Amino acid sequence: MKTTGTRSMILYILGIGFLFGLGVFLYGLFTEGGNWAMQPFNKHLNGGGQLSAGGGEILDRSGVVLAKSENGVRVYNSDETLRRAMLDAVGDTNGYISTGVQYCYRAQLSGYNLITGLTTPTGKSAGSNIQLTLDSSLCKLALQELGSRNGAVAIYNYQTGEMLCMVSTPDFDPQNPPEDLNTDKTGKYEGVFLNKVLSATYTPGSIFKLVTAAAAIEAIPDLDSRTWNCNGSITINGNKITDVASYGRLDFKNALAKSSNVAFSQIAIELGRDKMTAMANQLGFNRTFSLDGITTSKSVYHVTGTQDNELGWSGVGQYTDLTNPYHMMLLMGAIANGGTPVQPYLIQKITSSFGLVTQTGSAKTGEKLLSTQTAARLKTYMRYDVTKEYGDSMFPGLDVCAKTGTAEVGGGKKPNGWMVGFSSDSATPLAFAVVVENSRTGIGSAGQIASVLMKAAAKKMQ
Amino acid sequence: MQAVFTVLQEFLSVILYGIRIIIPLISVMIVISCFTSLRRGRRREDPVILLEDMVAHRAIPVLYWENSLGRSKSCDIVLNDMTASRSHAVLMRRESGWFVTDTDSKAGTFVNGKKIGEPTPVYPGDTIAMGSSALMLKPTGAGSAERPVRRVRRVASPFRLMFSVTLVQLLLCVLACFSGNKFHVGPFEVFGGLFVLEWALYLFSMKGLGRVTFELETMAFLLSGIGLMLIGASSVKTAWVQLAAAALGVVLFCVMIWFLNDLDRVMKFRIPIGAFAVLLFAANLLLAHERNGAKNWISIGGIGVQPSEFIKIAFIFVGASTLDRLQTARNLTGFIGFSALCMGALFLMRDFGTACIFFVTFLIIAFMRSGSVRTIALVCAVAVFGAFLIVKFKPYVAQRFSAWRHVWQYVNDSGGYQQTRVMSYSASGGLFGVGPGNGYVEKVFAGNSDLVFGMLCEELGLLVALVVLIAIALLMFYARSDATRSRSTFYSISACAAAGMILFQSCLNVFGVTDVLPMTGVTLPFISAGGSSMVAVWGLLAFIKASDERTYAARRHGR
Repeated sequence: MKTTGTRSMILYILGIGFLFGLGVFLYGLFTEGGNWAMQPFNKHLNGGGQLSAGGGEILDRSGVVLAKSENGVRVYNSDETLRRAMLDAVGDTNGYISTGVQYCYRAQLSGYNLITGLTTPTGKSAGSNIQLTLDSSLCKLALQELGSRNGAVAIYNYQTGEMLCMVSTPDFDPQNPPEDLNTDKTGKYEGVFLNKVLSATYTPGSIFKLVTAAAAIEAIPDLDSRTWNCNGSITINGNKITDVASYGRLDFKNALAKSSNVAFSQIAIELGRDKMTAMANQLGFNRTFSLDGITTSKSVYHVTGTQDNELGWSGVGQYTDLTNPYHMMLLMGAIANGGTPVQPYLIQKITSSFGLVTQTGSAKTGEKLLSTQTAARLKTYMRYDVTKEYGDSMFPGLDVCAKTGTAEVGGGKKPNGWMVGFSSDSATPLAFAVVVENSRTGIGSAGQIASVLMKAAAKKMQ
Repeated sequence: MQAVFTVLQEFLSVILYGIRIIIPLISVMIVISCFTSLRRGRRREDPVILLEDMVAHRAIPVLYWENSLGRSKSCDIVLNDMTASRSHAVLMRRESGWFVTDTDSKAGTFVNGKKIGEPTPVYPGDTIAMGSSALMLKPTGAGSAERPVRRVRRVASPFRLMFSVTLVQLLLCVLACFSGNKFHVGPFEVFGGLFVLEWALYLFSMKGLGRVTFELETMAFLLSGIGLMLIGASSVKTAWVQLAAAALGVVLFCVMIWFLNDLDRVMKFRIPIGAFAVLLFAANLLLAHERNGAKNWISIGGIGVQPSEFIKIAFIFVGASTLDRLQTARNLTGFIGFSALCMGALFLMRDFGTACIFFVTFLIIAFMRSGSVRTIALVCAVAVFGAFLIVKFKPYVAQRFSAWRHVWQYVNDSGGYQQTRVMSYSASGGLFGVGPGNGYVEKVFAGNSDLVFGMLCEELGLLVALVVLIAIALLMFYARSDATRSRSTFYSISACAAAGMILFQSCLNVFGVTDVLPMTGVTLPFISAGGSSMVAVWGLLAFIKASDERTYAARRHGR
């Protein structure tokens, strides 16, 4: 009998196996339960759609309802332009826009939690309401300014971190999605599910000169006393780098204001690959950022093993350089804020169906991107850009520091126009990044939109 | 009017939700009480009788109902005698008293000077001689040798436990009656039937047979009740079939406990039972019609029966053995042959899940009988090789498991359809579920049988599902801890095998549908809809019940 008793220990192997399996299942349920539940086939989410009859509301900063559930269907704001403007931030009903709040926060919106799953004691499923930091009227204005042009607009308050405007085109009406949205072959909806503020990869063009400038400020001690001969073009390795016009001899601040490719490509070559790469990495290239858990695309700066002419082009934001508006806006925030940005956020408040606030957004210091001294000098140069080149009348009374860019994209397309900048007036702490595809110049396209939006945003603050 | 109605509906919802919170709490208390009661109520390992060494005049306590005597250190009573065999003889207690039997020793065993072969009765004062040792049977000091010494400690009253189970069932019944916030009377009638069944068994076994324990039955009724009400909320008809099966199961349970009492009878019937099992498999293979890719159903008088469920019981009968037979017939050849036959038949039926269950049960029995790691390793190696050959030559078998661990890539095809539904709806249920009859797993194919775990999580919540699993796991740990206290190694082995079988089957079911293991399509014992499965699991429970010596002790007192 004793032996039989000892041998019965074999059952412990089975017992351990059972506990292990149960552990795997429970671990999966606790960590992935929300994703398991949020399936299109799940009939607890009414009508088989992504969000249930009880799906929570999405509101803008002043309480304007952007999306809600009514009688088992998802309803959006009654103003079509506003619906379209908020599309990329809010997301669509089917969850095609994977960076939209309706997709990324679907568990909260549907009311899913580990304790009650998708049900509630009262039998009425009820999701949390999500209030965004965005200003829907500002977004609407941005969409109107973009018109039929494709592009993206991002504005945030660099003191509080609130995202105020996040608009991307092309768009569609989430209330009445076009029939041919998924079947169209002409390309008119290309990038329609992409929030270009966060997920696009645009060639930066001349706005990248700010990165080159930052590297130059730190590596060239006598920068302000140096001059460059800008006679329209320079030939490096047999490759011609050109300017729009011949500017003659320019000092550093005027080279930046005139945005001389001739000067900046020489500066990039003078600094070399290592210093350029180090500064680009320090400023956030070659990595992603996260806006309330929504991951951005990666900005790219890669010059290892390049020829000098390629290095020169990379210093003026061409070659293989890529970036996204969110990153550029964050960089503006950093420069405005003495090198260390306030982390932007999108979610103001999540309130559960029984009134409990489960998440609130607040100002948090982000990662330091550049030194205080470098930030201060860049700020001076950028302010000079506006006063000297673009004209303060674009942003009356806002003391804006900015840089434009006209990024050549090749392939027979017209360049992308950029304008990035910020108001240095502490009463209107706004940083912006605007990009317009297929435009002629940065100042003429993105500049005009930035002007209108900064004026409107500043007016709301005063 | 509409507003009043809405408020009433909401009020009802809140009440039903409250009930769903209470059910796991009471259930977990019942499960804990049942197992503490089972553990506390066990006999202490006190000597049953004494043996006096005639040379050294030393008293040797006899601790078990079956004791091996011999030179080997692993014997229950070790003889320090070079002339004795390693395992010389077995001293065992049967209904009619103590017996000693020689287990093929070299020198032979003598009772009062007479050489013995067959089991021979020994009485206090008789001398057993083995080699140069002589032992005299003596009663223990105070207590009578006829009565096992058992300390009565405070344990939960069986009546109160059974009453709590009925309460849980009533609460479940209320939930089932109000599925979809409308009143249905059907589940209540099923509850009435269950009430009659469980209290009839209670009165029969406690009052009629004078048994002192009812914990295992209490647990089984708790689990069966959860299953019945879960199924009854969506299909009253299925619940009636299930209840009828439970009633048949209870009858089988009683008959088996009666049958298992007489070990000589059991050992005599092992060969016929084995032969019957083989015939049943043959009949299955000849008569079966294919259902969902597996040929494991036969129709008897219009009722579909799964013979393999009953063969599980026969398998344990054939596998388990008393200690004296374990000592004499050491090799496993016969049992290995029988097992190979069973598993071969199951493969022909394409019932891979059940084949796995038989294999694991085989390993448990084989190890408990032989203790030979080498044999087990060899058998496992052969099994792995066999599995490799099957995958190599029958690729469709492997295809069935291709979605394993990436079911989310097969959301809408057969590889992952069922698992993803189970996981999604399980998560939707949260800890307390959406209420019986309000779920969607039940609408998926095999929802209330193979996928019943998903239904359980979705409709009654994760907590109830965990209570069910923990109860089944504790059943195994109990069977193991009772292994040396049972009346024979037959009971120890059969109880461990039965409990191991139930737990392993539960693992295959639960982990199969939640994508921890490949999905094989077996039932969850006590819970899944399925008549044969329900009857058989009560039969398996009889093995565990029989291994508790108190099952039979009380009845003897009454005589």
